[in-house]
Amino acid sequence: MEDKNVKLIVTENLRKTYIDNGMSVEALRGIDLTIHAGEFTAIVGPSGSGKTTLLNMISGLDRPTEGKVWLKDKLLSDMSGRELSDFRRDHIGFIFQAYNLIPVLTVIENVEYIMVLQKLVREERRRRVTDILDQLGMAGYGNRFPTRLSGGQQQRVAIARAMVSHPLMILADEPTANLDSKTGADLLTMMKQLNDRTGMAFIFSTHDPMIVERARRVIVIRDGLIHSDEDREGERIYRATSA
Amino acid sequence: MNIHLKAAWRNIFRNKRRTFITGTAIALGLAALIFTDALVKGTTDSMINIATGSFSGQGQIHAAGFRETQEASRVIVGSDAVLARMAGDARIKAFTPRTLSFAMASSASEVSPALMIGVAPDSERKFSKIGEAVAEGNFFEAGARGANPQDIVIGAKLAETLQARLGDRLVLTAAQAGTDELAQEMFRVSGIFRFGMDEMDGGMVFVRLAKAQEMLNLNNGIHQIALTLTDSKAASNEADPLWKDYSHEGNEAVGWPVLFPQLKVVSSLAGFATAIIGVLLFGIIALGIINTLFMSVYERMFEFGVLRAVGTRPGGLRRLVVYEAGALGLLSCGLGIVLGFVVTFIICKTGLDYRGIEYMGLAFKDLLYPIMTVGQFIIYPIAVFIFTVLVGLYPAGYASKMSITKAMRRTL
Repeated sequence: MEDKNVKLIVTENLRKTYIDNGMSVEALRGIDLTIHAGEFTAIVGPSGSGKTTLLNMISGLDRPTEGKVWLKDKLLSDMSGRELSDFRRDHIGFIFQAYNLIPVLTVIENVEYIMVLQKLVREERRRRVTDILDQLGMAGYGNRFPTRLSGGQQQRVAIARAMVSHPLMILADEPTANLDSKTGADLLTMMKQLNDRTGMAFIFSTHDPMIVERARRVIVIRDGLIHSDEDREGERIYRATSA
Repeated sequence: MNIHLKAAWRNIFRNKRRTFITGTAIALGLAALIFTDALVKGTTDSMINIATGSFSGQGQIHAAGFRETQEASRVIVGSDAVLARMAGDARIKAFTPRTLSFAMASSASEVSPALMIGVAPDSERKFSKIGEAVAEGNFFEAGARGANPQDIVIGAKLAETLQARLGDRLVLTAAQAGTDELAQEMFRVSGIFRFGMDEMDGGMVFVRLAKAQEMLNLNNGIHQIALTLTDSKAASNEADPLWKDYSHEGNEAVGWPVLFPQLKVVSSLAGFATAIIGVLLFGIIALGIINTLFMSVYERMFEFGVLRAVGTRPGGLRRLVVYEAGALGLLSCGLGIVLGFVVTFIICKTGLDYRGIEYMGLAFKDLLYPIMTVGQFIIYPIAVFIFTVLVGLYPAGYASKMSITKAMRRTL
């Protein structure tokens, strides 16, 4: 388990400007943020506030227009595309709103995909897949294709895929948006337990009040700026709610 | 199995209809290529057989310079020894001696130029198909009173020109060897042949070898020995030692590529035509593959974005798309081989009827049969497969270079 004082993500004056239909749109207008190991953080805000853009920046999926991002002490702008791919593969797990499993791969193959990229031996891969599917209540579904699973089951597989390679953090973009409230609540409980047990940081971009309610830290973003940053457990002081 | 290979193989079945259409197009292209090559080989082979098997032989021996000048005095040096040597040469399957001379043929009413060929009836009958082509009368068969030295066999078209019938008298006038004195001899039409080639039917007359030698004052000299080889492939090889072995003491021995340079051109033209058809077919195949793969890539933009997000390197994505192209190629080649085999096999059995059609001075007398070779079912499928994979590099490169965030925003 990673030391909770380790800074996983540090951003400094993070800005991102898009050109949309010839118009310049400032999605992020200067974000300074630090996320530590083991956090269970919700980034909330209205649509278009910059939540997903922020997740893209801190995961290295996109590059900022201005400012800096450190991923575990490595400056993002110093990393090549290939290094970023490897960094994401080894240290970041992704959970998407629409699950986004590979439809032509079975549950087992989907879950072990990242470990295949990591070139782990087959026995180790299968051991980890079996363990994680078991933990997530998906044992017995290993040879099914995603299209033959319910939304909740697919999202469990997506969680398994994100976690199986033991990343430092899981980035989840609206993970409960396509699920009914009970399934969403169950999955959230499961993720919280995994967070407590493994020490993996969970960072959600969400509108879901249920996630906000359970998150230890809630960052509110509005118009590309951090509006508030609250640590529910009072371990750290981030920023008071701005006017 | 590699997970990308597995995914690629399954991906091509995600849109079965599209895969079926593209796969069938590629397969038809491959089948067409196999069939075209077989047909071109069959046509070329047939033309060579007509040219060499009907009368001329796969090779010929002459005195040096005879082919260019057609001078009657240029007879084969030491022809008896050459013939004796050929009789004991295992490389030579059959041969026949001839004299050749331009002559003027006169009937009671008409005159026409003709090529007078002196032949040894027995060996000529075995060697060429001229005997089989006799439509009226016979080819120097001995009658009740034995062989008639004044027998002449003429082409049907020449018979028409001369208004000559079987049994009519013809006078041949030719220049004698050495002296260029004109010699005349009267013959009686004992046979009329119909070969189907204007050049032969309208311009050749056959007389007995001894009579021709006497008329041309050749003693026992001959102008040509036509031959066929045990290994017919050697005939097309200008460097085969056999030609050198018989090209000495003022004689020259050459194979059909030298005798019929136009056939050599046909052969290379046929190869060129196959190549052009191949290029066109490959172009169509390429467009089909690019279209299919691009549609597939566009439909799965988000999926590719996810794959990149979770750590797949650009090269990994490129491999995935190339593997898909390979899988499509493999499937199509399998289908193309079966289609190509079935179509070509059926035509090989039934043949194509081009009988009577004359092309480059050669008339097809038999059904035309394509020639299937193992190479057609190995080289062309491999070429199509490699080509498919290479073409797949274009959409693969596109997929690997796209921005992850743009890909994940795009939906169709």
